[in-house]
Amino acid sequence: MTALLELENVHAGYGPTSVLHGVSLEVPEGGVVSLLGANGAGKTTTLRAITGGVRWTGDIRFAGRSLRRKATEDIVIQGIAHVPEGRGICTELTVDENLRLGSHLRHDGAEVRKDYDRVFEYFPVLKERRKLSSSTLSGGEQQMLALARALLMRPRLMLLDEPSLGLAPLVVRSIFEIIRNINETSNVAVLLVEQNARIALEMSSAAYVLEVGRVAVEGAASELRDNESVRRSYLGY
Amino acid sequence: MQEFFQLLVSGIATGGIFASLALALVLIYNAMGLVNFAQGEMAMFATFLAYSLIGRGMSFWIAFPVTLVLAFAGGIAVQRVVIKPVERAPVLSLVIITLGLATLVNGLAGFVWGYVPRSFPSPFSSDSIDLAGVFVSYRDMGVIAVTGLVLLCLYLLLQHTTVGLTLRAAAHHPEASRLLGVHVSWMLALGWGLASAVGAVSGIMVAPILLLEPNMMQTIIIYAFAAAVLGGIESPLGAVVGGLIVGVTVNLAGAYVAGDLQLAVGLAIIIAVLVLKPNGLFGRAAVRRV
Repeated sequence: MTALLELENVHAGYGPTSVLHGVSLEVPEGGVVSLLGANGAGKTTTLRAITGGVRWTGDIRFAGRSLRRKATEDIVIQGIAHVPEGRGICTELTVDENLRLGSHLRHDGAEVRKDYDRVFEYFPVLKERRKLSSSTLSGGEQQMLALARALLMRPRLMLLDEPSLGLAPLVVRSIFEIIRNINETSNVAVLLVEQNARIALEMSSAAYVLEVGRVAVEGAASELRDNESVRRSYLGY
Repeated sequence: MQEFFQLLVSGIATGGIFASLALALVLIYNAMGLVNFAQGEMAMFATFLAYSLIGRGMSFWIAFPVTLVLAFAGGIAVQRVVIKPVERAPVLSLVIITLGLATLVNGLAGFVWGYVPRSFPSPFSSDSIDLAGVFVSYRDMGVIAVTGLVLLCLYLLLQHTTVGLTLRAAAHHPEASRLLGVHVSWMLALGWGLASAVGAVSGIMVAPILLLEPNMMQTIIIYAFAAAVLGGIESPLGAVVGGLIVGVTVNLAGAYVAGDLQLAVGLAIIIAVLVLKPNGLFGRAAVRRV
């Protein structure tokens, strides 16, 4: 498998505060990779670096092409859907308008309609609430909307920032089921940032553990899961 | 009663003018959280452009859309040249910059066209027709039709096109919009262009009533502020409703209370709304997570 996304010795930060001190990682085409670690380890910053939300040095390549000095708008159109921390729902807009923002740059009308059907199959509740303001949705429904909108971009890679945050355990289960399903049926690669290491490792093929802006541990998800000292010291379960 | 209805109709016409300028203010407020104090002066400048075009023999109905296109381009240019370099500055700096811009545009118009008031041709006949005992002037009806049409076009653009959708998304959620591939910076420029064009409509509609000179819009902008604040500063629909209410109120106050108090009524509306209902008629309460 070739790497779809490669980070090579990436340093990044906000103004004088540097957060990432040389992060290297890879996401293979169609693979699911978890990015784990404590609060403040740099997980969100890593995702933000990929889509140009924070200045960085080193190199980030997507499908072999460097993303250096590219604007966010030009990066995402290459096929990266980033569901940010807090989900990035436009609460002033209706559910339908949020979804249309996901597909607004696509010109393949027939395929877009197919994707809408598929998305409503995954998340029937969104179809029922199409006309409603997205601010009326519950946290779980907003997360579904964010995922649905990302899918409508028909990405090659999804960056998911804590999809489980603030959701009830049952809802978390069903959302991760759907993420796995999306990955398997449409061959979309996923880079998953999660606090909930157990559930993230279950569906990933590989994982990286960040500690204060550096990769502390990396390996196959099964290895990390079975390594008790790693589990205890980094993953907290 | 007959007089009341006549005042009502001309109040609605005046209200349409206020509504156009108020809507321009709301568009920019939504995009940047900033009140553009230069909006009235930009509208005045556009009206002078229309005046020059008509003076060169162009018919009003060609000069009008041409001016709107020029105003649109001018709005984009102002955003790119003046506002974009200081986009991240504190709001107070931006307010000072728009005040400076107002003075600059005002002085430039005075330099080019002078301060002598000029009469601006009205495209509508000054006759009236008798509608069930109420005399309605063609002028008022024309102003209502033109501003109504412009507001309708803007509504359709914002609510029923993809560009409008991305414009609204970029205004409220710039970070999330960027991640969806929206070119936020250009959307801001587009917002300035639209605001400038809608504002120009108010200038061109009011000029035949007020006489054209560089300070023409300075009272109108007060009424537009009143309208925007009344509607809830963030709401385009609120700006239109606010504009109509202010127009009618000011017109009735001018006739039944005292003509000299019209501007005072406008200011009183601003103060009353800010004290009694700070979020206006259509604004949402400002919610802040702590």
